[in-house]
Amino acid sequence: MKTKSDFPSINERPPEGLKEDGSAFSVLIVDDSMFVAKQIGQILTSEEFKIAGTAGNGEEGLEKYKEMYPNIDLVTMDITMPKMDGVTALTKILEFDKEAKIIMISALGKQDLVKKSLMLGAKNYIVKPLDRKRVLERVISVLRQ
Amino acid sequence: MRVEYINPFVESAFNVLKEVVGGELTRGDLYLKSTTHPVLGITVIVGLAGDVEGSVIIDMSEETALAIASVMNGEELSDFDDLGKATISELANMITAQAVTKLYDLGFKFDLTPPAMITGQNLEVSNAGVETLIVPVDMPQGKIEINVAIRERG
Repeated sequence: MKTKSDFPSINERPPEGLKEDGSAFSVLIVDDSMFVAKQIGQILTSEEFKIAGTAGNGEEGLEKYKEMYPNIDLVTMDITMPKMDGVTALTKILEFDKEAKIIMISALGKQDLVKKSLMLGAKNYIVKPLDRKRVLERVISVLRQ
Repeated sequence: MRVEYINPFVESAFNVLKEVVGGELTRGDLYLKSTTHPVLGITVIVGLAGDVEGSVIIDMSEETALAIASVMNGEELSDFDDLGKATISELANMITAQAVTKLYDLGFKFDLTPPAMITGQNLEVSNAGVETLIVPVDMPQGKIEINVAIRERG
């Protein structure tokens, strides 16, 4: 029986979530909304990114980052969360690993906090509602920086 | 209530619902409710405090909430469980956040509380001393009512 591999498509491109060596980029999702975490997870896994973990607040995000270090390539960080907000968690993760690549996830109306996060060392930001194309563009641009 | 407070909520509700749910949206006639009024069953409340104060309530039946949450998740949800609740809370968050940005641009400064969801039958809401304007939005999944009760801080 012929399989798909017998007919390689000239339009096929490799999934965005894979490194040159074929292993997947590893992402930690920090968000208190189960819905948003699931949405980011779905967008990224569709491109074969690996979701290394999820955390529901900044404190848990910081702990998981330290636990999994150096095996996290990127963190998506919500800004407004209970216990420890995203801006504080960003600062603490960067104190621990100044090379950490963190993208802030924000609702509209939080421009001041987004600016502050970028000044503090966040690599980029995404404003909700999340759009698949925009999420992938920002994630890929940060990973290629 | 000043119309400047209402329009941003109507516009952002339409923008967000079109973007995340899609389908045909129709705005029903706006109306004022008395100080105590019944709500539909799944109610998300976001409080505002600053130059203006009050609350915005996004209200719908459980059936409608389940249908909208299913579309937003890209899968049929059979119960209005934690994921359904998180989805509708996030919807309210996006609508209010976008409206607030518009109000900031008009020069109003205030903070928002995180969305709080209340579910149940035969619920009533009272906004002591703040007039409530209702914006009904009809969607293929059912009706959503956006209750805006905002006043300038005296």
